[in-house]
Amino acid sequence: MEEHSYHFFSPDELSQLSRMENADRANEYLYRVLDIGQYMLQCGGEVSRVEDSIRRLCIAFGAERADVFTITSSIVVTIYAQSFGAVTQTRRITGSAYDLHRLEQLNQLSRRICAQRLSLEETEAALREIVATPQYSFGVQLLTYALISSSFSLFFGGSWLDAAASGVIGVGLKCLDRVIRRTEASAFLSALLCSCLGGLLAGLAVHFHLGDNVDMISIGNIMLLIPGIALTNSLRDMFSGNTISGLMRFIEAILLALTIAFGFALAASLL
Amino acid sequence: MGDMILQLATAFVGSLGFALLFHVKRDRLLLASLGGLLAWGVYLLMGLVTEQDVIRYFVASVCLTVYAETLARAVKCPATLFIVTASIPLIPGGSLYRTMQYFMRSDLEAFSSQALTTVLLAVAIAVGMLVPTAIFQLGRPLFDSAAARRRAR
Repeated sequence: MEEHSYHFFSPDELSQLSRMENADRANEYLYRVLDIGQYMLQCGGEVSRVEDSIRRLCIAFGAERADVFTITSSIVVTIYAQSFGAVTQTRRITGSAYDLHRLEQLNQLSRRICAQRLSLEETEAALREIVATPQYSFGVQLLTYALISSSFSLFFGGSWLDAAASGVIGVGLKCLDRVIRRTEASAFLSALLCSCLGGLLAGLAVHFHLGDNVDMISIGNIMLLIPGIALTNSLRDMFSGNTISGLMRFIEAILLALTIAFGFALAASLL
Repeated sequence: MGDMILQLATAFVGSLGFALLFHVKRDRLLLASLGGLLAWGVYLLMGLVTEQDVIRYFVASVCLTVYAETLARAVKCPATLFIVTASIPLIPGGSLYRTMQYFMRSDLEAFSSQALTTVLLAVAIAVGMLVPTAIFQLGRPLFDSAAARRRAR
Protein backbone atom coordinates (compact mmCIF):
# COMPACT_ATOMS: atom_id res chain seq x y z
CA MET A 1 0.00 0.00 0.00
CA GLU A 2 2.72 2.39 0.99
CA GLU A 3 4.83 1.54 -2.03
CA HIS A 4 1.91 2.32 -4.28
CA SER A 5 1.60 5.86 -3.04
CA TYR A 6 5.29 6.51 -3.66
CA HIS A 7 4.43 6.60 -7.33
CA PHE A 8 2.60 9.84 -6.78
CA PHE A 9 4.35 11.56 -3.94
CA SER A 10 7.87 11.57 -2.65
CA PRO A 11 8.21 10.95 1.12
CA ASP A 12 8.91 14.65 1.55
CA GLU A 13 5.74 15.63 -0.23
CA LEU A 14 3.81 13.04 1.74
CA SER A 15 4.90 14.47 5.02
CA GLN A 16 4.07 17.91 3.63
CA LEU A 17 0.56 16.66 2.81
CA SER A 18 -0.08 15.20 6.22
CA ARG A 19 1.23 18.42 7.68
CA MET A 20 -1.36 20.37 5.69
CA GLU A 21 -4.11 18.03 6.83
CA ASN A 22 -2.99 18.48 10.41
CA ALA A 23 -2.98 22.24 9.92
CA ASP A 24 -6.57 22.05 8.68
CA ARG A 25 -7.54 20.15 11.79
CA ALA A 26 -5.61 22.59 13.99
CA ASN A 27 -7.52 25.44 12.37
CA GLU A 28 -10.82 23.77 13.26
CA TYR A 29 -9.74 23.34 16.87
CA LEU A 30 -8.44 26.87 17.11
CA TYR A 31 -11.73 28.20 15.77
CA ARG A 32 -13.61 26.54 18.63
CA VAL A 33 -11.05 27.71 21.17
CA LEU A 34 -11.60 31.25 19.93
CA ASP A 35 -15.36 30.73 20.26
CA ILE A 36 -14.85 29.93 23.92
CA GLY A 37 -12.53 32.92 24.34
CA GLN A 38 -14.98 35.23 22.60
CA TYR A 39 -17.93 34.16 24.75
CA MET A 40 -15.82 34.48 27.90
CA LEU A 41 -14.79 38.01 27.00
CA GLN A 42 -18.33 38.99 26.02
CA CYS A 43 -19.91 37.78 29.24
CA GLY A 44 -17.48 39.63 31.48
CA GLY A 45 -14.30 37.56 31.83
CA GLU A 46 -11.16 39.58 32.50
CA VAL A 47 -8.62 39.87 29.70
CA SER A 48 -6.00 37.98 31.72
CA ARG A 49 -8.44 35.14 32.45
CA VAL A 50 -9.39 34.85 28.78
CA GLU A 51 -5.76 34.79 27.64
CA ASP A 52 -4.90 32.17 30.23
CA SER A 53 -7.86 29.97 29.27
CA ILE A 54 -7.09 30.17 25.54
CA ARG A 55 -3.45 29.24 26.14
CA ARG A 56 -4.40 26.23 28.26
CA LEU A 57 -7.02 25.09 25.75
CA CYS A 58 -4.57 25.29 22.84
CA ILE A 59 -2.00 23.26 24.75
CA ALA A 60 -4.68 20.73 25.73
CA PHE A 61 -5.62 20.39 22.06
CA GLY A 62 -2.02 19.56 21.17
CA ALA A 63 -0.19 22.81 20.44
CA GLU A 64 3.38 22.99 21.68
CA ARG A 65 3.31 26.72 21.94
CA ALA A 66 0.47 29.26 22.02
CA ASP A 67 0.87 33.02 21.76
CA VAL A 68 -2.29 34.83 22.75
CA PHE A 69 -2.94 38.54 22.57
CA THR A 70 -6.28 39.78 23.80
CA ILE A 71 -7.76 43.24 24.15
CA THR A 72 -11.40 43.96 24.86
CA SER A 73 -12.21 44.23 21.14
CA SER A 74 -9.99 41.55 19.60
CA ILE A 75 -8.26 38.22 20.13
CA VAL A 76 -5.17 37.10 18.18
CA VAL A 77 -3.79 33.59 18.62
CA THR A 78 -0.88 31.82 16.97
CA ILE A 79 -0.28 28.20 17.84
CA TYR A 80 2.67 26.11 16.83
CA ALA A 81 3.45 22.40 16.81
CA GLN A 82 5.98 20.31 14.88
CA SER A 83 3.17 18.30 13.29
CA PHE A 84 1.24 21.21 11.77
CA GLY A 85 3.49 24.26 11.82
CA ALA A 86 2.20 27.68 12.81
CA VAL A 87 -1.52 28.47 12.64
CA THR A 88 -2.95 31.93 13.32
CA GLN A 89 -6.47 33.17 13.77
CA THR A 90 -7.93 36.47 14.88
CA ARG A 91 -11.36 37.33 16.19
CA ARG A 92 -13.09 40.70 16.38
CA ILE A 93 -15.12 41.06 19.58
CA THR A 94 -18.08 43.42 19.71
CA GLY A 95 -20.48 44.12 22.52
CA SER A 96 -20.30 42.70 25.99
CA ALA A 97 -22.74 42.33 28.83
CA TYR A 98 -22.19 40.58 32.13
CA ASP A 99 -23.54 37.05 32.17
CA LEU A 100 -21.80 35.47 35.12
CA HIS A 101 -23.63 32.17 34.86
CA ARG A 102 -22.39 31.69 31.30
CA LEU A 103 -18.88 32.67 32.37
CA GLU A 104 -19.03 29.98 35.03
CA GLN A 105 -20.20 27.39 32.48
CA LEU A 106 -17.45 28.36 30.03
CA ASN A 107 -14.89 28.11 32.77
CA GLN A 108 -16.13 24.64 33.64
CA LEU A 109 -16.06 23.62 29.99
CA SER A 110 -12.46 24.71 29.52
CA ARG A 111 -11.45 22.87 32.68
CA ARG A 112 -13.21 19.79 31.35
CA ILE A 113 -11.46 20.08 27.99
CA CYS A 114 -8.06 20.35 29.69
CA ALA A 115 -8.70 17.48 32.09
CA GLN A 116 -10.55 15.01 29.88
CA ARG A 117 -9.19 15.92 26.41
CA LEU A 118 -12.63 16.36 24.85
CA SER A 119 -12.86 15.87 21.10
CA LEU A 120 -13.84 18.66 18.72
CA GLU A 121 -17.38 17.31 18.37
CA GLU A 122 -17.89 17.01 22.13
CA THR A 123 -16.64 20.57 22.57
CA GLU A 124 -19.04 21.86 19.92
CA ALA A 125 -21.98 20.07 21.54
CA ALA A 126 -21.08 21.47 24.97
CA LEU A 127 -20.77 25.00 23.54
CA ARG A 128 -24.18 24.74 21.87
CA GLU A 129 -25.67 23.67 25.17
CA ILE A 130 -24.13 26.65 26.98
CA VAL A 131 -25.39 29.16 24.42
CA ALA A 132 -28.89 27.68 24.67
CA THR A 133 -29.08 28.06 28.48
CA PRO A 134 -31.98 30.41 29.25
CA GLN A 135 -31.33 33.70 31.07
CA TYR A 136 -33.62 35.33 33.64
CA SER A 137 -37.01 36.24 32.16
CA PHE A 138 -38.04 39.82 31.36
CA GLY A 139 -40.29 39.90 34.43
CA VAL A 140 -37.38 39.11 36.72
CA GLN A 141 -35.26 41.75 34.97
CA LEU A 142 -37.94 44.41 35.56
CA LEU A 143 -37.99 43.46 39.24
CA THR A 144 -34.19 43.62 39.29
CA TYR A 145 -34.13 47.18 37.95
CA ALA A 146 -36.68 48.23 40.57
CA LEU A 147 -34.74 46.46 43.34
CA ILE A 148 -31.42 48.09 42.44
CA SER A 149 -32.90 51.59 42.03
CA SER A 150 -34.80 51.49 45.31
CA SER A 151 -31.98 50.06 47.36
CA PHE A 152 -29.41 52.59 46.16
CA SER A 153 -31.84 55.43 46.66
CA LEU A 154 -32.08 54.34 50.31
CA PHE A 155 -28.35 53.58 50.49
CA PHE A 156 -27.45 57.16 49.61
CA GLY A 157 -29.93 58.55 52.16
CA GLY A 158 -33.20 58.96 50.29
CA SER A 159 -36.60 58.61 51.94
CA TRP A 160 -38.84 55.56 51.48
CA LEU A 161 -41.02 57.60 49.11
CA ASP A 162 -37.93 58.42 47.02
CA ALA A 163 -37.01 54.74 46.95
CA ALA A 164 -40.48 53.79 45.72
CA ALA A 165 -40.38 56.45 42.99
CA SER A 166 -36.89 55.38 41.99
CA GLY A 167 -38.03 51.76 41.74
CA VAL A 168 -40.95 52.64 39.45
CA ILE A 169 -38.69 54.78 37.24
CA GLY A 170 -36.22 51.87 37.14
CA VAL A 171 -38.93 49.68 35.63
CA GLY A 172 -39.61 52.38 33.05
CA LEU A 173 -35.90 52.56 32.16
CA LYS A 174 -35.70 48.81 31.64
CA CYS A 175 -38.64 48.99 29.21
CA LEU A 176 -36.97 51.84 27.29
CA ASP A 177 -33.69 49.93 27.30
CA ARG A 178 -35.43 46.91 25.78
CA VAL A 179 -36.91 49.01 22.98
CA ILE A 180 -33.56 50.65 22.23
CA ARG A 181 -31.75 47.32 22.19
CA ARG A 182 -33.98 46.12 19.35
CA THR A 183 -32.38 48.80 17.17
CA GLU A 184 -28.67 48.97 16.40
CA ALA A 185 -28.22 52.10 18.53
CA SER A 186 -24.87 52.65 20.23
CA ALA A 187 -24.43 52.29 23.98
CA PHE A 188 -24.02 56.06 24.21
CA LEU A 189 -27.36 56.88 22.59
CA SER A 190 -29.07 54.37 24.84
CA ALA A 191 -27.43 55.87 27.94
CA LEU A 192 -28.40 59.39 26.83
CA LEU A 193 -32.06 58.48 26.28
CA CYS A 194 -32.30 56.47 29.50
CA SER A 195 -30.74 59.18 31.65
CA CYS A 196 -32.86 61.88 30.04
CA LEU A 197 -36.04 59.89 30.69
CA GLY A 198 -34.84 59.10 34.23
CA GLY A 199 -34.25 62.78 34.95
CA LEU A 200 -37.64 63.81 33.52
CA LEU A 201 -39.58 61.18 35.46
CA ALA A 202 -37.76 62.02 38.70
CA GLY A 203 -38.60 65.71 38.22
CA LEU A 204 -42.24 64.89 37.51
CA ALA A 205 -42.43 62.59 40.54
CA VAL A 206 -41.34 65.41 42.86
CA HIS A 207 -43.64 67.86 41.09
CA PHE A 208 -46.64 65.65 41.80
CA HIS A 209 -45.44 64.96 45.37
CA LEU A 210 -44.67 61.31 44.64
CA GLY A 211 -41.11 61.84 45.87
CA ASP A 212 -39.19 64.22 48.13
CA ASN A 213 -35.85 64.86 46.47
CA VAL A 214 -34.96 64.67 42.77
CA ASP A 215 -31.30 63.86 43.45
CA MET A 216 -32.13 61.00 45.81
CA ILE A 217 -34.59 59.48 43.33
CA SER A 218 -32.11 59.84 40.48
CA ILE A 219 -29.10 58.37 42.29
CA GLY A 220 -30.85 54.96 42.35
CA ASN A 221 -31.35 55.09 38.59
CA ILE A 222 -27.86 56.46 38.02
CA MET A 223 -26.34 53.44 39.72
CA LEU A 224 -28.06 51.30 37.08
CA LEU A 225 -26.56 53.27 34.23
CA ILE A 226 -23.19 54.56 35.43
CA PRO A 227 -20.16 52.45 34.38
CA GLY A 228 -18.66 52.26 37.87
CA ILE A 229 -17.74 48.60 37.50
CA ALA A 230 -16.13 49.30 34.14
CA LEU A 231 -14.05 52.11 35.66
CA THR A 232 -12.78 49.90 38.47
CA ASN A 233 -12.11 47.01 36.11
CA SER A 234 -10.23 49.28 33.71
CA LEU A 235 -7.82 50.22 36.48
CA ARG A 236 -7.53 46.59 37.46
CA ASP A 237 -6.66 45.72 33.85
CA MET A 238 -3.98 48.40 33.73
CA PHE A 239 -2.47 47.35 37.04
CA SER A 240 -2.27 43.74 35.88
CA GLY A 241 -0.36 44.70 32.75
CA ASN A 242 -3.15 44.91 30.17
CA THR A 243 -2.66 48.59 29.53
CA ILE A 244 -4.40 48.86 26.15
CA SER A 245 -7.56 47.09 27.30
CA GLY A 246 -7.54 49.15 30.47
CA LEU A 247 -7.21 52.43 28.60
CA MET A 248 -9.98 51.52 26.17
CA ARG A 249 -12.32 50.65 29.00
CA PHE A 250 -11.31 53.69 31.02
CA ILE A 251 -12.07 56.11 28.19
CA GLU A 252 -15.32 54.32 27.38
CA ALA A 253 -16.39 54.57 31.02
CA ILE A 254 -15.55 58.29 31.20
CA LEU A 255 -17.42 59.06 27.99
CA LEU A 256 -20.43 57.04 29.11
CA ALA A 257 -20.49 58.77 32.50
CA LEU A 258 -20.28 62.12 30.71
CA THR A 259 -23.19 61.15 28.47
CA ILE A 260 -25.29 60.18 31.48
CA ALA A 261 -24.54 63.44 33.29
CA PHE A 262 -25.45 65.27 30.08
CA GLY A 263 -28.74 63.35 29.88
CA PHE A 264 -29.76 64.28 33.41
CA ALA A 265 -28.69 67.90 32.89
CA LEU A 266 -30.78 67.98 29.71
CA ALA A 267 -33.81 66.67 31.60
CA ALA A 268 -33.31 69.27 34.35
CA SER A 269 -33.20 72.09 31.81
CA LEU A 270 -36.36 70.81 30.10
CA LEU A 271 -38.39 70.83 33.32
CA MET B 1 -26.65 53.11 64.13
CA GLY B 2 -30.03 52.83 62.41
CA ASP B 3 -28.40 54.42 59.37
CA MET B 4 -25.70 51.78 59.32
CA ILE B 5 -28.18 48.92 59.51
CA LEU B 6 -30.16 50.45 56.67
CA GLN B 7 -26.95 50.84 54.65
CA LEU B 8 -25.94 47.25 55.28
CA ALA B 9 -29.39 46.01 54.33
CA THR B 10 -29.44 48.07 51.13
CA ALA B 11 -25.87 47.04 50.29
CA PHE B 12 -27.07 43.44 50.51
CA VAL B 13 -30.18 44.04 48.41
CA GLY B 14 -28.21 46.16 45.90
CA SER B 15 -25.67 43.38 45.43
CA LEU B 16 -28.50 40.90 45.08
CA GLY B 17 -30.03 43.12 42.40
CA PHE B 18 -26.79 43.31 40.43
CA ALA B 19 -26.25 39.57 40.85
CA LEU B 20 -29.66 39.04 39.24
CA LEU B 21 -28.90 41.62 36.56
CA PHE B 22 -25.67 39.78 35.73
CA HIS B 23 -27.47 36.43 35.51
CA VAL B 24 -25.88 34.75 38.52
CA LYS B 25 -27.48 31.35 38.96
CA ARG B 26 -30.05 30.94 41.73
CA ASP B 27 -27.96 28.77 44.07
CA ARG B 28 -25.10 31.31 44.07
CA LEU B 29 -27.25 34.40 44.69
CA LEU B 30 -27.08 34.33 48.49
CA LEU B 31 -23.30 33.89 48.64
CA ALA B 32 -22.78 36.60 46.03
CA SER B 33 -24.94 39.18 47.80
CA LEU B 34 -23.49 38.35 51.22
CA GLY B 35 -20.17 39.50 49.71
CA GLY B 36 -21.69 42.97 49.22
CA LEU B 37 -22.82 42.99 52.84
CA LEU B 38 -19.34 41.95 53.95
CA ALA B 39 -17.64 44.63 51.85
CA TRP B 40 -19.78 47.42 53.24
CA GLY B 41 -19.52 45.97 56.76
CA VAL B 42 -15.73 46.11 56.58
CA TYR B 43 -15.91 49.66 55.22
CA LEU B 44 -18.07 50.75 58.15
CA LEU B 45 -15.90 48.93 60.69
CA MET B 46 -12.77 50.57 59.31
CA GLY B 47 -14.45 53.86 60.12
CA LEU B 48 -13.54 53.18 63.76
CA VAL B 49 -9.85 53.11 62.86
CA THR B 50 -9.44 55.79 60.22
CA GLU B 51 -11.39 58.55 58.56
CA GLN B 52 -9.59 58.19 55.25
CA ASP B 53 -11.90 56.76 52.62
CA VAL B 54 -9.10 55.47 50.41
CA ILE B 55 -7.77 53.19 53.15
CA ARG B 56 -11.25 52.06 54.15
CA TYR B 57 -12.06 51.17 50.54
CA PHE B 58 -8.73 49.41 50.14
CA VAL B 59 -9.20 47.19 53.18
CA ALA B 60 -12.81 46.44 52.24
CA SER B 61 -11.68 45.49 48.75
CA VAL B 62 -8.95 43.19 50.08
CA CYS B 63 -11.48 41.47 52.36
CA LEU B 64 -14.06 40.97 49.63
CA THR B 65 -11.45 39.52 47.28
CA VAL B 66 -10.25 37.06 49.91
CA TYR B 67 -13.90 36.12 50.41
CA ALA B 68 -14.41 35.73 46.64
CA GLU B 69 -11.25 33.73 45.97
CA THR B 70 -11.92 31.39 48.90
CA LEU B 71 -15.50 30.79 47.79
CA ALA B 72 -14.42 30.33 44.18
CA ARG B 73 -12.21 27.46 45.26
CA ALA B 74 -14.85 26.02 47.60
CA VAL B 75 -17.70 25.96 45.08
CA LYS B 76 -15.53 25.67 41.95
CA CYS B 77 -16.49 28.67 39.88
CA PRO B 78 -14.64 31.78 38.62
CA ALA B 79 -13.82 34.31 41.35
CA THR B 80 -15.03 37.04 38.96
CA LEU B 81 -18.59 36.09 39.84
CA PHE B 82 -18.18 36.94 43.52
CA ILE B 83 -15.76 39.83 43.01
CA VAL B 84 -18.10 41.71 40.68
CA THR B 85 -21.21 41.28 42.82
CA ALA B 86 -19.51 41.86 46.17
CA SER B 87 -17.79 45.06 45.05
CA ILE B 88 -21.11 46.70 44.09
CA PRO B 89 -21.54 48.79 47.28
CA LEU B 90 -17.94 50.05 47.00
CA ILE B 91 -18.01 50.97 43.31
CA PRO B 92 -17.67 54.78 43.11
CA GLY B 93 -20.60 55.19 40.71
CA GLY B 94 -22.17 58.07 42.59
CA SER B 95 -18.84 59.84 42.82
CA LEU B 96 -18.19 59.31 39.11
CA TYR B 97 -21.58 60.79 38.31
CA ARG B 98 -20.98 63.82 40.52
CA THR B 99 -17.62 64.37 38.81
CA MET B 100 -19.30 64.57 35.43
CA GLN B 101 -22.06 66.72 36.83
CA TYR B 102 -19.50 69.31 37.96
CA PHE B 103 -17.86 69.06 34.56
CA MET B 104 -21.21 69.82 32.90
CA ARG B 105 -21.67 72.88 35.13
CA SER B 106 -18.07 73.92 34.28
CA ASP B 107 -17.35 74.10 38.00
CA LEU B 108 -13.69 73.27 37.51
CA GLU B 109 -12.63 73.38 41.15
CA ALA B 110 -15.31 70.95 42.33
CA PHE B 111 -14.73 68.86 39.22
CA SER B 112 -11.03 68.37 39.80
CA SER B 113 -11.38 67.48 43.47
CA GLN B 114 -14.28 65.10 42.77
CA ALA B 115 -12.40 63.52 39.84
CA LEU B 116 -9.42 62.95 42.09
CA THR B 117 -11.65 61.29 44.69
CA THR B 118 -13.27 59.03 42.10
CA VAL B 119 -9.98 57.88 40.59
CA LEU B 120 -8.37 57.39 44.01
CA LEU B 121 -11.27 55.27 45.22
CA ALA B 122 -11.26 53.21 42.03
CA VAL B 123 -7.50 52.73 42.38
CA ALA B 124 -7.92 51.70 46.01
CA ILE B 125 -10.48 49.08 45.03
CA ALA B 126 -8.48 47.83 42.03
CA VAL B 127 -5.21 47.51 43.96
CA GLY B 128 -7.06 45.94 46.86
CA MET B 129 -8.31 43.26 44.47
CA LEU B 130 -4.87 42.61 43.00
CA VAL B 131 -3.13 41.73 46.24
CA PRO B 132 -5.20 38.70 47.38
CA THR B 133 -5.60 37.43 43.79
CA ALA B 134 -1.82 37.39 43.40
CA ILE B 135 -1.36 35.57 46.69
CA PHE B 136 -4.00 33.00 45.79
CA GLN B 137 -2.28 32.44 42.44
CA LEU B 138 1.04 31.75 44.12
CA GLY B 139 -0.35 28.34 45.01
CA ARG B 140 -1.29 27.62 41.44
CA PRO B 141 2.06 26.82 39.74
CA LEU B 142 2.77 24.24 42.44
CA PHE B 143 -0.60 22.67 41.84
CA ASP B 144 -0.12 22.75 38.05
CA SER B 145 3.27 21.07 38.07
CA ALA B 146 1.92 18.41 40.43
CA ALA B 147 -0.92 17.77 38.00
CA ALA B 148 1.52 17.63 35.07
CA ARG B 149 3.67 15.08 36.87
CA ARG B 150 0.61 12.95 37.58
CA ARG B 151 -0.37 13.09 33.91
CA ALA B 152 3.16 12.15 32.80
CA ARG B 153 2.97 9.06 34.94
